[in-house]
Amino acid sequence: MPALRNALRIFLLSFGVFNSAHAILPIEKLDSYNGAKAYLVQTKTLPMVDIEISIDAGDRYDPIGKSGLADMTAALMNYGARGSEGALNEAQIADEIADLGATIGLSVGGERATLRIRSLSRKDLRDRAVKLAAAMLSAPAYDPKIVEREKQRTITNLLEAETKPEYVLERRFKKSVYGDYPLAYSPSAKSIATVNAVDLKQFHKQFYRGDRMIVSIVGDVDRVQANEIVRTLLQKVPEAGPAIAKIPGLPRSAVEPLAQREVQIPFDSQQAHIAMGMTAVTRSNPDYFPLLVGNYILGGGGFVSRLMAEVREKRGLAYSVSSYFAPGKDAGIFQAGLQTKNDQAALALEVMSSTIAKFIADGPTPSELIAAKSNLMNGYPLRIDNNRKLLDNVSSIAWNDLPLDTMDIWTKQVEAVSLEQVTNAFQKYLAMDRMRIVVLGAKR
Amino acid sequence: MRSNLLRITFLLFACAPLSWAAGADSADTHEYRLSNGLKLIVREDHRAPTVAHMVWYRAGSMDEVNGKTGVAHVLEHMMFKGTEKVKTGEFSRLVAAVGGRENAFTSRDYTAYFQQVEKSKLDTVIQLEADRMSNLNFDDAEFLKEIQVVMEERRLRTEDNPSSLLNEAFMATAYMSSPYRHPVVGWMNDLQNMKAADARDWYRNWYAPNNATVVISGDVDPKQVLQTVEKYYGAVDAHELPVRKPQIEPPQKGIKQIQVKAPADNAQLTMGWKVPKLEPGKLDDVEPYALELLTGVLDGYDNARLNRTLVKQEKVVNDVGVGYDMISRGPELFLISTTMAKGKTVAQAQASIRKALEELKQKGILESELKRIKVRILSDQIYKRDSIFGQAMEIGSTEMAGFSWKDIDYMLQKMQTITPEQVQSVAKKYLIDEGLTIATLDPQARQSDASKESK
Repeated sequence: MPALRNALRIFLLSFGVFNSAHAILPIEKLDSYNGAKAYLVQTKTLPMVDIEISIDAGDRYDPIGKSGLADMTAALMNYGARGSEGALNEAQIADEIADLGATIGLSVGGERATLRIRSLSRKDLRDRAVKLAAAMLSAPAYDPKIVEREKQRTITNLLEAETKPEYVLERRFKKSVYGDYPLAYSPSAKSIATVNAVDLKQFHKQFYRGDRMIVSIVGDVDRVQANEIVRTLLQKVPEAGPAIAKIPGLPRSAVEPLAQREVQIPFDSQQAHIAMGMTAVTRSNPDYFPLLVGNYILGGGGFVSRLMAEVREKRGLAYSVSSYFAPGKDAGIFQAGLQTKNDQAALALEVMSSTIAKFIADGPTPSELIAAKSNLMNGYPLRIDNNRKLLDNVSSIAWNDLPLDTMDIWTKQVEAVSLEQVTNAFQKYLAMDRMRIVVLGAKR
Repeated sequence: MRSNLLRITFLLFACAPLSWAAGADSADTHEYRLSNGLKLIVREDHRAPTVAHMVWYRAGSMDEVNGKTGVAHVLEHMMFKGTEKVKTGEFSRLVAAVGGRENAFTSRDYTAYFQQVEKSKLDTVIQLEADRMSNLNFDDAEFLKEIQVVMEERRLRTEDNPSSLLNEAFMATAYMSSPYRHPVVGWMNDLQNMKAADARDWYRNWYAPNNATVVISGDVDPKQVLQTVEKYYGAVDAHELPVRKPQIEPPQKGIKQIQVKAPADNAQLTMGWKVPKLEPGKLDDVEPYALELLTGVLDGYDNARLNRTLVKQEKVVNDVGVGYDMISRGPELFLISTTMAKGKTVAQAQASIRKALEELKQKGILESELKRIKVRILSDQIYKRDSIFGQAMEIGSTEMAGFSWKDIDYMLQKMQTITPEQVQSVAKKYLIDEGLTIATLDPQARQSDASKESK
């Protein structure tokens, strides 16, 4: 279909011409309250609102020996709290959320904990959901009996996870790639066993305060209503507290001989699981866009990446193979991985390594660069076409201190990426003699 | 509970327990039938300049025959391997070039393909998808590579995954004759013996406009879409489809049990009962709705019955899940799945589940419990509309089960009329041993030892 191929160039030229009805929605900065920053995107078409509170209280703050503390501090917030009208037990909280037709979700990543509310925007329902979340956020109960129950459940889940190849691989890879950085340590039955209700209360008191929080709101509320939501959420949260020592930065993975960088884990699964990677960049790094475009070509671009072509399309070695950068406020990591039946592990690792090595050495071809930019630019509307995705974007922009016009200029930044920038950025940040490698399952 | 079934209607606002703001209007949805039998459904949603384009074929693993299980899914993979005009791999490159996201999925009931694109790129993906409806042309070498990929997929998702192995054994035990007893991915031995010709036969048999429904949702003008669809899909010839044998599962006459030994730390237990589903044309049957609501009462929120009693109070299981799909082509099961709490046995878990069900059967449920689930269903219909893709999914899966997208509103209204007594009644009638299958995972130590790792 030659017509389609010609079309490719036309799409590139015509991109960015959103019709005016679909201008990219602006991010409004709301009033700061109690030390927290807050942002709003108004979307009026559906009678619903999504709210996220990011708390600088991620896994990286787990004390040595108590890995899993940050996770549990967040996860147990909905199992009892003191609200404006007295104590609420876990059953009352769960019933109230259900009665409102709302959801309140808690999750914890390496950098931050997040509390997310999804509610209908009707004022009476929305107010009750926000009040409930405010109670959880400011005064969780951490009842010792419930803490004990949840510790046991967590330990049971961890012991189960330790029988799964993907979990064992990921845990070992983190240890290799993060070195002395706190994220090297994963929760274990042993570390969870040392956590008690006092630890949870202390961690909560130390980290859950206004100056460590950011609120992002997307949906059917105006500026006045959004400011009111922020105030209700954070009213009982302390504004600040004792200084918390900054975590030392994540240093670049050191050059080491292969024998020091590669780990083999015997595992009697049918497939070998392989991970390879090293430390990389922050989201605010000026080379973020060259790396984004380059990784699309190398292993991020679904069915059309080089890794997919070499490993799956040409050789049928794996169902899934990919690579990604995970940049955050701190330097994140680059990681690539695949799974293949055991007797093909050495071959698959060789193909993956040489594909990455060649890309670092030679960079992309001009046509690959055009195809990558074409996909990323033409596909940008799909990254912001609903409330949930907008919330992801706003919250990431706020968390990473990016400019508020990030969504408006995103495609321009992709368009500006040159071949040299991609090649230089990959050579600057990645190096084969620094890659940590974990191979699980394969018998050599 | 499958929540993608239903959405809000204006009619409902009057009788809903809370008054809700506007949802989708059926005026936003348009249905057309091409002369070659292809059905087109267009859902207008102008919130953002994007479109989801899906084609659904009413051919899933339930249409396979013995010895060729997995062929529906294998063909799904081969659909990316080229036509007379578009060489292998080119389909994905062209979709990528217009910024599209694409994939495909196979179930027991259907096989579906989709692309999500910025709206001005819709014609491109329609052209590509229509082309591979009748012009697929892959060579044997491509097949031989791709069947290896599919076997890797099976290793990843099933062979090395004890929960999947348990589920596979459970389905093969619960059903004697229904093709639902076979896994969608296929048995490994069938994959090892599959030939390119099997995939080609499957394609020739089932891929036809008269066996397909195209669903397009997003920022589109339905008239324009119809023109484009006529132009490309309209050019594909209809042909006669193979006869589908009913293969009705004979009634079960007592408990069936199966045990699976696989590497794990903890035992798992799945209990499943044969229950009715909603039949097309019989939308007033109360029982399927009552069963849907029963799943919510048992497991619909954090303080629902089974989570509260089994996980929090008795601490006999670590997790519990309840499943039932009111809508499907094949027979239906009401499922309760659990993993044991540390030190608890499968027998203890089963006793606790039976006790909780017995209490519900004897004493019924509270009006407040049921109302909570109904509110959840209503609010989910608003949230669902946040996703253009989700709307196309809802329409397509409903159509594939033999219903019309127009039935969705009616089902939602009907759901709101169900009483606590009706929920109690289906529990009493169907959650009984005659139709019960029990599968247990007996955990085996995995031969692995991180301390033996070598550098």
